[in-house]
Amino acid sequence: MKSYLRLLAALAALAFAVSARAAEELNLFGWSEYIPQPVIDGFTKETGIKVNFETYSSNEELLSKLVAGGGSYDIVQPSDYTAEVMIRQKLLAPLDLSKLPHLKNLDPEFTHCGHDPEGKYTVPYMSGTVGIVVNTERVKTPIKGYRDVFDPKFKGRIVVLNDNREIVSWALDTLNLPVNTITAANLAKARPLVADWVKLVKVFDSDSPKTALLNGDCDLGIVWSGEAAILWNQSKKFQYVIPAEGAHRFIDVLAIPAEAKNKDAAHKFIDYILRPEVSVLISDAFPYTNPNAEARKHLSAEALANPASYPKGGGKIETFRDIGKAAADIDRLVTDLKSAR
Amino acid sequence: MDPLASPAAPDAKSLPSDHRRARWRAWLLLTPMVLWLVAFVVVPTAILLVYSFCERDELGRVVFSFTWENYQRVLDPVYLRIFGRSIGYAALTTVICVVVGFPVAYCIGRASEAWRQRLLLLVMVPFWTSFLIRTYAWITILKEEGLLNGALSALSIVHAPLDLLYTPSAVVIGLVYAYLPFMILPIYGSVEKIDGALIEAAHDLGAGPLRVFTSVIIPLTLPGIAAGTLLVFVPAIGMFAVTDLLGGAQVPLIGNVIQNQFMQARDWPFGAALGMVFMLLFAVSYGLILRFRREETA
Repeated sequence: MKSYLRLLAALAALAFAVSARAAEELNLFGWSEYIPQPVIDGFTKETGIKVNFETYSSNEELLSKLVAGGGSYDIVQPSDYTAEVMIRQKLLAPLDLSKLPHLKNLDPEFTHCGHDPEGKYTVPYMSGTVGIVVNTERVKTPIKGYRDVFDPKFKGRIVVLNDNREIVSWALDTLNLPVNTITAANLAKARPLVADWVKLVKVFDSDSPKTALLNGDCDLGIVWSGEAAILWNQSKKFQYVIPAEGAHRFIDVLAIPAEAKNKDAAHKFIDYILRPEVSVLISDAFPYTNPNAEARKHLSAEALANPASYPKGGGKIETFRDIGKAAADIDRLVTDLKSAR
Repeated sequence: MDPLASPAAPDAKSLPSDHRRARWRAWLLLTPMVLWLVAFVVVPTAILLVYSFCERDELGRVVFSFTWENYQRVLDPVYLRIFGRSIGYAALTTVICVVVGFPVAYCIGRASEAWRQRLLLLVMVPFWTSFLIRTYAWITILKEEGLLNGALSALSIVHAPLDLLYTPSAVVIGLVYAYLPFMILPIYGSVEKIDGALIEAAHDLGAGPLRVFTSVIIPLTLPGIAAGTLLVFVPAIGMFAVTDLLGGAQVPLIGNVIQNQFMQARDWPFGAALGMVFMLLFAVSYGLILRFRREETA
């Protein structure tokens, strides 16, 4: 009985210790494979704030959990168009810019964009594009755009993102239709094209599309530029092409949920990420386009020469805007076409 | 089955109050199980049932207003076809599991005591590793420049690499691999209980090996096969990880569609409606199996 009481006392002490430390914790909810562990460890070492890191693998998952799970997160990392909905739905807290002295390091090209024109709610984390990767050892014909990729002769050799909005927007770009105003008429026009395309695809994978290319199961891909950059680093045979018909640029941001409990620590974390020497660590691990102009000065010549991270030229590049309920129509269209194959 | 029926018939001397205490004790013993079922089965199912008649707003939040729309959408040919295909995959998986699992279970069940323990351990060993990691291992085996193709071409069995990964065959391989132990274990349970004397008696009465198998062994192991079939077929229909990882997410199965409604599409009411229809199908088929078995034994 005595030992039982002692156990209870120990548990009570533990619970007390946990609650006493609660003020020094930061709940970070970010993309999987996007925030290097050394960055988080460095932040904890410097500030003593413990970081609880949870991950998600799509913007929709982030929204589902944020809407369902309430205010247990202090920092989230949505993409531009998701941040736009979150701002409109008052899910994000305005930033206290005086607490972010390193904000000046950012390249103005990536700030005050359509999703957050006043720059009040979001801070760019990394940016990138969705483009074509070609294994030039296997594919000898020039590949310039979506139409070249979805050629029947490449049937069963293509990997694309498992992302319905992306797939439909490639078709819309190819038909020269707007990607951010979705109408039933335009979807009907895109439908036959998407129907033909999904039949040619071997793998739909958003998490690690590079795997199918590295393994040799696919020769062409339409993937995140960061994945393409890693492929290029492994072998120069993987060339990155910005599709001639138009490409999607995404800006992933850091933001603080309106119901965050520890906004002070959240600001500290965001400012820590904005430091050039920290930002470089992120670029090294995940070679997307770094929006931090100061950090870019610290990058190696090889990293800056990576065509997937810092593409030169190319066609029209657009960011996605929120399309509201049309997302459901797109989802249904692609599910329908995929299951018909 | 009445869970409250006390296992032993009360003897004549016992007083009614004793009997009542036994019932009360039975409930007490069942409490953890009942609480568990209520918290993790009854309540979530009730929530899903309510959600399935609701609508969603722009953010994917559930809006409580009554509608049949989600159920109408389930009947859309797109989703019916996906249901049909999922049942097909699960049925094929179950059949392969029976064919492959039965001999294994039979050998283990008829082996000597010491061997039986070792062989059973081998069936269980894969569970020590995460299911996802084991599925990733299959990618390494099946990919174009992978272990299987490497071995086959080294032995000059094939000249061009076989197209295995990201095909329906890969999905079935993954499903069979995942669920085979759930077929082997219940069949083993039945085989172990077979009285060897019955088989000898059948031989003595002039039955050949085939006759013994079909008339003695199969009927005696039928409960194990039935349990294994349920344990394999039901989860195989809803599986989505294998289709994504080994099938390249080319063709959606019902598990993928439901998962997609709760994640990417953020249409929880529709996902809930799909889930409810799915559950109803199970309840009905399970009821039919039970009735069929009762008629068998009657």
